[in-house]
Amino acid sequence: MLHVQGLRKAYGEVAALSGVDLEVAPGEIVAMLGPNGAGKTTLVSIVAGLRRADAGSVEVDGLDALARTADVRARIGFAPQDTGVYPVVSVRRNLKLFGELAGLDRRTLRIRIEEVADALDMTDLLDRMTGSLSGGQKRRLHTALALLHRPRLLLLDEATTGADVETRNRILDLVRRMAAEGSAVLYSTHYLAEVETLGSRVAVLDHGRIIAGGLVSDLVASYAVPVVELVFTGEVPASLVRDGATVEGSRLRLPSREPARTLLEVLPQIDPAALSSMEIVHPSLEAVYLALTGRRYDEADRAGSKEAADVVAP
Amino acid sequence: MSWRRSSAILRHEFRVMLSDPSTAIFVIVMPVLMVALMKELFADVLVSEGFSGANGSEFAVPGMAVSFAAFSVGYAGFSFFRDHGWATWDRLRASPATSADLMVGKVLPTVCLTTLQLGVLFLLGGPLFGLHITGSVAALAVLIVVLALSLSAFGILVTALARTMNQLNAIGSVGGMAMAMMGGSFVPVASMPGWAQALAPAMPTYWAMRGFRTVILEDGGLGDVVLPVVVMAGFGALFTALAAMKFRVEDSKVYWG
Repeated sequence: MLHVQGLRKAYGEVAALSGVDLEVAPGEIVAMLGPNGAGKTTLVSIVAGLRRADAGSVEVDGLDALARTADVRARIGFAPQDTGVYPVVSVRRNLKLFGELAGLDRRTLRIRIEEVADALDMTDLLDRMTGSLSGGQKRRLHTALALLHRPRLLLLDEATTGADVETRNRILDLVRRMAAEGSAVLYSTHYLAEVETLGSRVAVLDHGRIIAGGLVSDLVASYAVPVVELVFTGEVPASLVRDGATVEGSRLRLPSREPARTLLEVLPQIDPAALSSMEIVHPSLEAVYLALTGRRYDEADRAGSKEAADVVAP
Repeated sequence: MSWRRSSAILRHEFRVMLSDPSTAIFVIVMPVLMVALMKELFADVLVSEGFSGANGSEFAVPGMAVSFAAFSVGYAGFSFFRDHGWATWDRLRASPATSADLMVGKVLPTVCLTTLQLGVLFLLGGPLFGLHITGSVAALAVLIVVLALSLSAFGILVTALARTMNQLNAIGSVGGMAMAMMGGSFVPVASMPGWAQALAPAMPTYWAMRGFRTVILEDGGLGDVVLPVVVMAGFGALFTALAAMKFRVEDSKVYWG
């Protein structure tokens, strides 16, 4: 359904995408995971026809998305990162507008509004003024606007950002249901736990490149080795640095198939006063990310936020 | 372009407009008050020009109507900036609506509001201010609609040029006011300095005032307002062409600041 090949995009000197290849089949959810500033929003925006690519190709349902944007838009549903709803009209009016723009006839639109409202627990909110909703309720409406017309390709950019737990669960359930009904879903997120919950195929994006892809379970099996992480109050003792270890400031990371044994081995060599914290990072997407990039995901996320803020996108 | 999609946007824009009718009410009510305050000022001028029965409303009504219509050209751009502020612009762009659908759906409500604004003042002019229209009402209606289209096109041009809401307000208000004053809708062109009289025909408002004068005071019919209508339409076409060259749907706009 979605074929992306060699996609490149730069904002001035800063490369946002550096040759991205990606495929999403009908009925499949691909979670695009990456820290802030990794290029997720740029990729989704190009597929949605909102930004121009510098190079590469995007095909949606066999159509060249970079050339036939109008035809492609009829096939996609897009929920951008920022909550975009009309606060001065009712929830129903918001849904009606985007349903009508998607070409739904009056009867179908009425049925779809009821369906999507039921799925996202918004039935009682339909006639409420949108501006009076809570942040989580607005986020539900924001997502509903993208999938009301059952698009063949659903693009969700950080759909659950700022959402409460219930909203997050509702949205994820609906995403799974859409995929089960045949829609291809490209789900961009920077929440590791969410990707593990979805159990979908994952594409890990870092500095504008997809550095790994596949099922979460396969990635964990392929890349993730448990890591013993020790943080010192000062410099990392040189005696502890061995093959495969990485040092980052006062942080020492020791990959090990038997992390508990490794921890017991090294602890006697450490002055307790010099140790700030210790942790065993178990195989997970977090460990995959660490193995692929040498950085903890939350560190990359914070750094990415700063980089993204420094880049003024046109 | 799809009329169905444009009409969906248009109906939605009307709903948004009605959710806060204060601006629409202001631009309709204010010129009525201004005519009440100013019409006496123009009675002597019109009598001195040979219109012996004139009471001043013959100039004050079209003058204030045109002035306030020109002054509110920025309203055309407000709906674009508002969508950027609500983060709905990208949603609209990612929908099957084309740029043309968006333009028609968003600009037509402004054309309707301006037409209403002008029409209401002329309708109230008779009962409230003793305005007597000697010529064709059809010609008056054509002038009103073409002026509304022309000013809305100017509003879109201002929208295309402005990056922030503050710029839209500043360029729209100052540009609109200058256009109204230079076109002779605040004071009759004959009373303006020579250099201003020479510049006046470069303003669409001048041609609107000239057309209204022909219909109101000189018993003008449709055939008598062809030139003003064609020139105003020409201005509208020019503004539209310039806006089309400058306007980029992908340009980001700052709702405020």
